[in-house]
Amino acid sequence: MKGLLKRWSFWCLLVLAALALFGTRLFDALPEAEVAAPFSKPLWLDRSLPPTMDLELSGGHPAAELDWVFGAPSRFSLRVETALPAPSRFVEWTIPGGKTFRLTPLNRGVELDGRDIAFKRSLGLPPFGDASSALFPERGTYRIGLSGEGEWEGSVKIRLEGGRWGLLGTDQRGRDIAALFVAGIRVSLLVGIFATLLATFLGTSLGLAAGYRGGWTDAVIMRAVDLLLSIPLLPILMALAALWGKGLWQLILILSVFSWMGTARTVRALTLTLRDAQYIEDLRGLGAPAGYILRRHLLPETLPVLLATMTLGVPGAILSEAGLSFLGLSDPRVISWGRMLHEAQSFGAFTAGAWWMLLPPGLGIALLCLVFLDLGKYLEERVDPRLRGGNVL
Amino acid sequence: MSGYWARRTGSALLVLGLVLVLNFVLFRMMPGDPVASIIDPNFSPEAKARLSEVYGLDRPLPVQFLRYVRSTLTFDFGISFLTGRPVVEELKSRLPNTVMLLGTSLVLSSLIGTWLGMKAALKRGSLLEKCVLWSGALSFSFPSFFVQLVLLMAFAAALPLFPLRGTLSVPPPAGGLPLLLDYLWHMALPVFSLVLLGFGGWALYVRNLMVKILGEDFILLARARGLPERNIILGHAFRTLLPPLLTIFLLSLPGIVSGAVITETVFSLHGVGRFLLEAVTGHDYPAAGASFFLLALLTVSCNLLSDLLYGLTDPRVRMERGGGR
Repeated sequence: MKGLLKRWSFWCLLVLAALALFGTRLFDALPEAEVAAPFSKPLWLDRSLPPTMDLELSGGHPAAELDWVFGAPSRFSLRVETALPAPSRFVEWTIPGGKTFRLTPLNRGVELDGRDIAFKRSLGLPPFGDASSALFPERGTYRIGLSGEGEWEGSVKIRLEGGRWGLLGTDQRGRDIAALFVAGIRVSLLVGIFATLLATFLGTSLGLAAGYRGGWTDAVIMRAVDLLLSIPLLPILMALAALWGKGLWQLILILSVFSWMGTARTVRALTLTLRDAQYIEDLRGLGAPAGYILRRHLLPETLPVLLATMTLGVPGAILSEAGLSFLGLSDPRVISWGRMLHEAQSFGAFTAGAWWMLLPPGLGIALLCLVFLDLGKYLEERVDPRLRGGNVL
Repeated sequence: MSGYWARRTGSALLVLGLVLVLNFVLFRMMPGDPVASIIDPNFSPEAKARLSEVYGLDRPLPVQFLRYVRSTLTFDFGISFLTGRPVVEELKSRLPNTVMLLGTSLVLSSLIGTWLGMKAALKRGSLLEKCVLWSGALSFSFPSFFVQLVLLMAFAAALPLFPLRGTLSVPPPAGGLPLLLDYLWHMALPVFSLVLLGFGGWALYVRNLMVKILGEDFILLARARGLPERNIILGHAFRTLLPPLLTIFLLSLPGIVSGAVITETVFSLHGVGRFLLEAVTGHDYPAAGASFFLLALLTVSCNLLSDLLYGLTDPRVRMERGGGR
């Protein structure tokens, strides 16, 4: 156990599992929510770009100042929410030169967008382009405030959409990549672990049966192993994913049905060496039924090896799931790393140069696979100390 | 020897037969009515029935299966539901590209991998060995499409050194040499990506096998006999390395062929793999079944080939049953 605590992969897996369980709470919005402009860069990437920000004014907080050191935001929008309108009061926007724009009276249900022609004309701007370039002509201190006096209850919400958002930017629909990334951990872990568990169960049962029964059972099972090992699996998986529907649990089932072969071979080989051991012979002589011998004696013998092969099998399942999702054969409503890469390729991440859409999911898959490879190596070394040393990770 | 060959060929044929059954079951069970996808739903029932008859979809399943086997074995795959052209024509134009892509990258990555793996095994503890171990681990954990997308973004989108998509420019250049150069230019990045993804695994396997072999008694004996080192490595160690290497090659083949689907999709190549994806998503049974069969045939025949080579490299197999001197 002590060795396990020293492994980086163990701690990494803990962090990832915690993120998968509680990670979505780190974000204000759901991962599906469109929070900023499409293809926004990460906040730390290009500091000359304006970030996406929200300003709010209310009766008790009637003015705000803004030190602006960027170019104009890509979009300016404003919303007034009030139960008690005040048509004689206005939202005013003062730019560094001292010029003041009167944006809108405080009426009920006002929604303005920098692209509205009516809005631009009311400001005395030409009807082309976005009003934000006129509202943000230079760097300096901007002031927004409510003019006049009088009773008013409500809020004015202003949103400045810039080219930057969050830790990892946004995708083609303006969703937060960091939130999507965290949501994707869940699918990869779920599919990786459950598909491998099921495959191990299948492989162990078939391997035990083949090794212990021998004869026809053995021949049929081993032929099936040979067949499945000698045909390309991805096409079959593609056909089945299209056939059975694209749900997560169907995918887990499909993956496990086609990845039990390695385990079956290992278990069969182990069972063959154990089958003729003296104590098993003795048990048979005492009249122990085959089921009892398999369950109580052969299965426990194979367990340590199984644990290692199981852990080493997880990356395969994770990569298969990601591959199918990348090919577009997964449920489009389920966020997964493979799906993110699929969308990056299909929806113009290349023309937008949005590399931040590619790297997080791809590196996430690779990291998760490395974690399980390392844990598997550790378990293998515990089972067979001769393997110790000579391996990286 | 002939007994070994006969048995191997027999088992390859058995696998192919099972592939046929699997293929039929898989693609007949695909959801979505194929008739619905090619015919306007407003057609009269009579017209639908007639079209079903033309495509043979109204017959009982066993009859459909026999017809399917007969036509598959004569490479008559029928008409694609989507393009309306004979599937065999579609495949004929695509197969050379897939074989080119997989063949070139396989040869390059196995050569580089074997060379690096042997170097690493001979220099235990060196930086090179560390690199080989890491490249092996990384090649097992990085998804191929991710690496390819990154390469594409870096060397085709950001730095426009290579084309973003396709097997040939549109329109293709006239003349033999420019056409060949254009083809090579389009294939360079896909092949490079597959070599990058593949060599690590080879190097790791070769290194592990070689380390084991170099610890064997017969190497010690050869050293004790005072044979030159070159002789020991190439004549004794490498000779022993070949059979297990072929086994690994055999086991990795299906995965490599599967990789064609992904690589061709990422780079939008005109190949069998991408055709399969389009057929599967478009419920185009004849096309999907044919391209799956072709990919399986490719795997099984490569399998058989390496099995036969195995017989040549491993003297124990050669001696087995009725063979030998």
